[in-house]
Amino acid sequence: MEERLPQIVAFGGGGFSMDAGNPLLDEYVLRATGVERPRVCFVPTASGDADHYVVRFYRTFAAMGCEPSHLSLFRRDRTAAQGDPADHLLAQDLIYVGGGSVISLLGAWRAHGIDLAMTEAWRRGVVLCGLSAGSLCWFSEAVTAFHGAPRRVEGLGLLPHSNCVHYDGEPARRTEYRRFVEDGMRPGYAADDGAALHFVGADLHRVVASRPGKRGWHVAVKGDRVVERKLPAVELGAPVALVA
Amino acid sequence: MGGGGFTCDPGDPALDELVLQLAGKPVPRILFLPTASGDPRDQIARFHAAFGDRPCEPDVLSLFRLADVRRPVRDIVLSQDVVYVGGGSMRNLLAIWRVHGLDRLLRDAWERGVVLAGLSAGAMCWFEGGVTTSSGAPEATPGLGFLPGTLSVHADGQPARRAVYLKAVASGELAPGWLADDGVGLLFRDMALERAVSARPGARAGRVDLVDGRPVETPIEPDLIAPAPRQAPAEVRELRALRYGSPRD
Repeated sequence: MEERLPQIVAFGGGGFSMDAGNPLLDEYVLRATGVERPRVCFVPTASGDADHYVVRFYRTFAAMGCEPSHLSLFRRDRTAAQGDPADHLLAQDLIYVGGGSVISLLGAWRAHGIDLAMTEAWRRGVVLCGLSAGSLCWFSEAVTAFHGAPRRVEGLGLLPHSNCVHYDGEPARRTEYRRFVEDGMRPGYAADDGAALHFVGADLHRVVASRPGKRGWHVAVKGDRVVERKLPAVELGAPVALVA
Repeated sequence: MGGGGFTCDPGDPALDELVLQLAGKPVPRILFLPTASGDPRDQIARFHAAFGDRPCEPDVLSLFRLADVRRPVRDIVLSQDVVYVGGGSMRNLLAIWRVHGLDRLLRDAWERGVVLAGLSAGAMCWFEGGVTTSSGAPEATPGLGFLPGTLSVHADGQPARRAVYLKAVASGELAPGWLADDGVGLLFRDMALERAVSARPGARAGRVDLVDGRPVETPIEPDLIAPAPRQAPAEVRELRALRYGSPRD
């Protein structure tokens, strides 16, 4: 079997969860698998496995030329697909992690050994992606602003950077992220709603955007101040120039 | 509770009533924690339907919707008279409580006299351990250990769970403890069992001890309790409607 490189596509926001009717990011992650009809598992842990979210996933992905499934950690006794969830995850081409509470997500994953399964899946080249909590979870450190003031949270650490999501949508996150980096949080990457950071291995490969003007950002301390560097984004679905 | 209560059919209103009585106040504050099921809206709606017309001030804390919660979680938990924990995945319940610090907050609340109640996962969590189906097949799992001993729920409806419990007690994996059927409530004051009640005729409880290395069950005959359905006084309902609107989610 061909060796697959580890890949993570971390959305600042967007995809079917936030931007129904704009399939560009979801199409992009399906293409990133390099498989004609990829197996896609949705992991809605951060929402408490909310039924409506699972239904929206199936509605969206059933029409996208893939084999969709989902992993519920709350109803394992009532799920038809019993057995080891790690085996199911390792058999995928793409794992799509939904938004919600990253703290709850990490707690539940660790209790079920999903953290280890995700790490193994990533090593074996299963593409990992997600938005919001489903982005933050892959990094060493991240900013969560789910309840009260934004705060630091430690993620799985597959990507040895920090991460901040909804960078253009929630100004408080941007301010706090810059402050955290200034106070010693490791440097990292932020993404606007509608932008996604595509990592191959631990390195940023490219930034893609599902809407014009959406970007990724690199945030680091230079000298004694925080420097925010705009990252050029590849605009997905940009109109192809027609030859006149 | 071994099962039953407002989240299950037939509802067992007598148990809900008892839980409120234990608070010893005319209009107790009661907080529902649906963490073990991922805070589903149908359970929350059932909670409001069950408690909305009783003399109490019902509230819900959804750890998965903390984005909408303005007050500090600590204030919310410690200002209650009763905390009622729903059923679901015991493993998820404890893991998610721990990352949010709820385990310590609930310990504080209990030590300050807040009544802790719950069914299924929400009952076993208070003990040293129980039997969960969080991963599919029933298996022994540790709890918070506020109460000494262990508990296994749905003892009438789920024979496989009961068998796993007896085996785990025999092997020493779980400390001795109690079995409770659906509809049965075990009331502990401080650390000791004070009373067993049942909202369903024929439902049972049992104490399981290790005798000569074998688990021996001693039946406990619960007191059958009947609901005395009543509405909150009109002025309480009116006040509540003004304060919160109705129903609230």
